[in-house]
Amino acid sequence: MKRRLVLWGGAALGILLLVVAPFTFLHQAYLVHIGIVALFYAILASSWSLLAGYAGQFSFGHMAFMAIGAYTTGLIGKFVRLASAPTGTCTEFPLGGWYLVLQNATGPNCLERGMAQMPPGSLIVQPPILVGILAGTLLGGIFGWLIGVLVLRLRRTYLALFTIGFSEILRVAINAEIDITDGPNGLELDPLFPNGLTLFGRYFEPTDKLPPYFVMLGLFVVSMWLMSWLASSRFGLFIRAIREDQEAAAALGVHVVRYKVLVFVVTSMIAAAAGAVQAHYIGVITPNILLILQMSLVISMAVIGGLESLVGAAIGAILLEFALEFLRRSFTIGTLTVDMTTWRLVFFGILLMLTLRFQRNGLIHPLLERITRAEALRETVAKRQAPAEV
Amino acid sequence: MLAYVLLWMVLWAMVGGVMTPRIYARKDLDVANTGLAGALMGAALGPFGLALLWWRSPKLTGRWLATPGVLAVLLFAAAFARTYPGNLCVSNGSFVVTQVVNGLILGLIYGLMALGLTLIFSILGVVSFSHGEFYMIGGMLVYYMSVVWLPGLNPLVALVGAALITFLIGVVFERLFLRVMNTGQVERPGEYAILVTFGLAFFLQYLTLALVGATPKKAPRFLDYPRLDWPSPENPWLLRMRAGTVEFLDTVSIATPRVTAALIAMVMLLILMWFLYRTWIGKALRAVSEDRQAAAVTGINPDTMNTLAFGMGTMLAGLSGASLVQVFSWVPWVGTLASARAFVIIVLGGMGSLPGAFVGGLIVGLVEALGAGCIPDPQRAAAYIPAYGMVILTLVLLLKPTGLFGREL
Repeated sequence: MKRRLVLWGGAALGILLLVVAPFTFLHQAYLVHIGIVALFYAILASSWSLLAGYAGQFSFGHMAFMAIGAYTTGLIGKFVRLASAPTGTCTEFPLGGWYLVLQNATGPNCLERGMAQMPPGSLIVQPPILVGILAGTLLGGIFGWLIGVLVLRLRRTYLALFTIGFSEILRVAINAEIDITDGPNGLELDPLFPNGLTLFGRYFEPTDKLPPYFVMLGLFVVSMWLMSWLASSRFGLFIRAIREDQEAAAALGVHVVRYKVLVFVVTSMIAAAAGAVQAHYIGVITPNILLILQMSLVISMAVIGGLESLVGAAIGAILLEFALEFLRRSFTIGTLTVDMTTWRLVFFGILLMLTLRFQRNGLIHPLLERITRAEALRETVAKRQAPAEV
Repeated sequence: MLAYVLLWMVLWAMVGGVMTPRIYARKDLDVANTGLAGALMGAALGPFGLALLWWRSPKLTGRWLATPGVLAVLLFAAAFARTYPGNLCVSNGSFVVTQVVNGLILGLIYGLMALGLTLIFSILGVVSFSHGEFYMIGGMLVYYMSVVWLPGLNPLVALVGAALITFLIGVVFERLFLRVMNTGQVERPGEYAILVTFGLAFFLQYLTLALVGATPKKAPRFLDYPRLDWPSPENPWLLRMRAGTVEFLDTVSIATPRVTAALIAMVMLLILMWFLYRTWIGKALRAVSEDRQAAAVTGINPDTMNTLAFGMGTMLAGLSGASLVQVFSWVPWVGTLASARAFVIIVLGGMGSLPGAFVGGLIVGLVEALGAGCIPDPQRAAAYIPAYGMVILTLVLLLKPTGLFGREL
């Protein structure tokens, strides 16, 4: 009972800290920005730890699902419009009393030509940002299902290779299809709240950092809650059983196919949602987020935090993101200038390898265990000592 | 027209790939390779081939895989030629031959690199995700030794130096990080190996970037070929050799750095074959890859062989990078693409198979050269080069995960 109290208390305290933080002395645009990015990585690292640490599916394609979410909402914002009258020039579908208009990627813009023929006073609006984010999440889930089904037969190395392949193909395709995705220049997206936001009588500019921070924090809390619930339910038990021994789990009645696919779907949806929100916040998305470097960052954060602990991975991601930002400053020793923008990643690599080699459970996870199990430890020690006194 | 033919082929390949294993299973026959055979048959002959396959349901020997495979490639080529009659690959024979020779030359070097990866896999049971970084370091070392540190040093000496250094890095890493896999000090060694080699790749790439910067490096060519015309200077139709290019039969023209690299790769392959099949240590290595415990019983120390194999694997990657630094310009992240390519090759050839790595290398080299040369929109074709290999990888993993020469799982 005490342990449960400690866990809930810890979670409440953590959320409270994250909520209050931007109103304290940390209220600087730069720090809030790092906070948003840190939460973004925390979502990715903890969902990857559910996939790799709990279920044992070492996928290197997590960033690909993230990019699918981001590009889906970006492309919807770029190409999809709602019109109150048919344009006659674009591909369009009736939708209630409105028309869903798909603009063309090449050639003269069909919407501009169509506007001339439309009755005066007809409206053309962009679908709301939320619709794009939901569509991105959904598509991430669909791709997660597809990949999950395709990799059912593949284990370990083969799975890692396949997912790297998937991620690379996606990156190359985004780079090459310049007409649609704007290629390496990146796709521009609207801010999360294009018209600004008024909350509690205070007006926030579209570029203000506080609303995106709370959106990301909300997503973080929801996804952490969802994943902890999953991990502590039968689902979590089953996927850990599959990780340890797939055949034995199947023999004991675990539906291996269903749970393997399901864990892919859930984690890719979470990654896609995080990607969509992050893309809207940053305002531009480039294929470079699919580089292996980005995946390495997520993996390092999860490993250093604790591969088999959702909270550990999340805290690891937040701490490391802040560490990476503060190590950016280059310094000079005599005539030698040390460019920390690259060297910090070198240290990061060393830290990753040493953690793997000597602290398999990560650096944060054992600390958490100490705190949450301190009471249990005391009880055990007391129990052991009790008979000795008799 | 090409689009319709492709659609037809993909559709029937999917039908064949999905249905054939079920039909074989219903007839209570061996289902090994049925997915692949069905897909190839569907792609080559459509419903007719599938009907034949399902009606007769023969035992799937190599012939039942090779014939439809070749037919499918021919069908695709014919459709391509009909659709794009003006394409260089259709109208210009010498262009095709040049592309093929270039592809084979690069494929030879890719094969050398993949040989290192497959050697590591067959003995340690680990796919090293840092293989591409050793390729990059090999090239960097040759550049720095022969251009920056000791200008005027013969590049071939630098090549040997690069091989030694990459060997040493591999040995040290194996001793420090991979040795524990066999001592039970880490849980789930397979996953540990994936992550720790991945960490090494990350570390090496950024270390190199921090040390040498991001500007592309290009080493001068190792050898200047003599001016040679054959049979006669007036009419050199057989061979025309200049410092920078070699031209055979008035049609095939190849840059000399590539020829040098191919020669180095061939010499290295011969030395490697001699080492693995004729020396005691080589035989011991192969024995460990066959059966670890039996080898240990006969007095071979498997741990030493692990270290040696990892060092040799990284050395082969370093050597192929070292011989290509005169061909391509070199940046700290060239290794990413190279390691992806090496994965493709060993999966295609079959994990742990030495001939497989070699043949796989040649195939991937060919596909890349023809893909880059033939796809009608050149800008898009160039952009998609990294994806060709990945498409092969995906298809092989789905249809025949053991690859061409792999042991059955």
